[in-house]
Amino acid sequence: MRLRLAVMLVLAAAPGLLAAQSGPSRLQGRVAPAALPTIDSIIAVAVAESLPTEPLVQKALEGSAKKIPPDRLVSGVLHGLAQLREAHALISQAVPGQPVPEGHVVSVAAALARGLPPPIVQRLVAMAPAEPPGPVLHAAADLVAHHFDPDSAAGLLIDAHTKGLRGVRLLDVATAADHELQRRGGRTHAEVLAHVRDMLPNVPGPKATVARP
Amino acid sequence: MSTIDLRLQAVLDGERDAGDLPADLRETYVRLMAAAELLEAAPRLSVAARVMAEVRQLPAPAPLQNLGPMRRAVRWLSRPRAVTLRLRPVWTLALAAGLAAILLLPLQPPTSKPTPGASEGVANFVGHFPGARSVEVVGSFNNWTPGVLPLNDKHHDGVWHGTAVLPAGQHEYMFVVDGERWVADPLAGRYVDDGFGAGQQNSLLIVRPSTAEP
Repeated sequence: MRLRLAVMLVLAAAPGLLAAQSGPSRLQGRVAPAALPTIDSIIAVAVAESLPTEPLVQKALEGSAKKIPPDRLVSGVLHGLAQLREAHALISQAVPGQPVPEGHVVSVAAALARGLPPPIVQRLVAMAPAEPPGPVLHAAADLVAHHFDPDSAAGLLIDAHTKGLRGVRLLDVATAADHELQRRGGRTHAEVLAHVRDMLPNVPGPKATVARP
Repeated sequence: MSTIDLRLQAVLDGERDAGDLPADLRETYVRLMAAAELLEAAPRLSVAARVMAEVRQLPAPAPLQNLGPMRRAVRWLSRPRAVTLRLRPVWTLALAAGLAAILLLPLQPPTSKPTPGASEGVANFVGHFPGARSVEVVGSFNNWTPGVLPLNDKHHDGVWHGTAVLPAGQHEYMFVVDGERWVADPLAGRYVDDGFGAGQQNSLLIVRPSTAEP
C-alpha cells in the first residue's frame, strides 16, 4: 500500500512523463511486464530532475536477474531514486551554486548506500569539489566499515589529500589503517589512525590493480 | 717356348680326325677343348656395360611434354637429384649459433592475461564452491546478464577462478552458483545492501585504472 502511494506521488509530481518517453526501453524483455511501466515512469522522473538514470536501469536489471517479485523490484528502483535525490541535495549543499555532475551524484549515492553518514559525505565532497569523489568516499566507507570513528576517518583522508594523495591512492590510506589494525593487536582505532597519519603520504600501494582490503 | 705335336695341331686345325690320335695325344686334345669351351663361356663385357645394356632395354618414360602439370610436378618432386651445398665456414658457424639460440633460449609461457586499456583494470574473481557444477559472475559491469562471465574450476578442487577487464570504478556483483544460487563474494571485503528489502548484500568491487600510480 505504501509502495503504491509512493509510486502515485512520484507520478503525480511529474505528470505526463510516462507519455513523454520515446523509443524502446532498455528494460523491455528483461523486466517483468507487470513492473515495467512503473519503472519506466520512475526513470522518467529521474530524467526530469536531471538525475542519472543508469543506476536505476541497473537496479531494475539486477532485480529481474535475481527474479525479485514485481512489487519489490519497483520498491528497489524507487529506493534508488530516493538515494539519487538525497545525493544531489547533499552535493548542492556542500558546493552551493555549482553544477552537480552526474558522476558525483552516483558516487555520493553509493557512499550513502554503504552507510556513510551524510555530514561526512558533505565534508569530503567539499574538500575537493572538482575531483571525482568516488575514491575518497569509498575510502571513508571502508574505514567506517572497520569501525573507525567517521569524523576521525574523514580527518585522516583530508590530511592525506592535503599531503598530495589523490584518487585511488586515497583507498590505500584506508587499506593501510586496516592492515595496521590487524598487524598491531591491542592498539586502539585512534592510535592506528595516528600511526597512519604519521606515514602520510607514504602509505603502501596496492599489490594488484583490483583494490581489495 | 713349348712346342705342340704336329698331329695334335692338325686335329685342332681340323685337318685330321681326333680318333686318329694316339691315346696320350687324344687326352691332351680333350683337355684343350674343355679349356676352350670355358673361355667361350666367360663374360665378354664388363659389369658396367652389362648394367647399361639392361637399362637400355627398359621402356623409356613418357616425355614430360605429354604429361599434365600435376603429374609433371609430382615427377619432378619424386625424382632423385644430386644437390651440391657449398657453404662458407663463417655462414655455417652463424647457422649453428642461430639454431643453438633457438634451442637454448627459455620458451616464453603463453600468456592469457587480458590487457586493460588506460581507463580499465583487471579484476580477478575467486570463489570456493565445492561440488558446484557452474559458477559465474553477474554484476553491473555486464548489465546483470547471466552467462557472460563464467568461472573455471581448473583443478577440480572447488576453487573457481575468473579474470575480466573492467572499466575503472565501482561495480556491484554476485556469484551465481549452479545457475540459481546468488552468493556474495566472501573475499570482496566491501558490500552494499541490494535495496530489494530482503537484506541481501551485493559485493562491491573497485577497479583501479591500469595507469594508476602504485
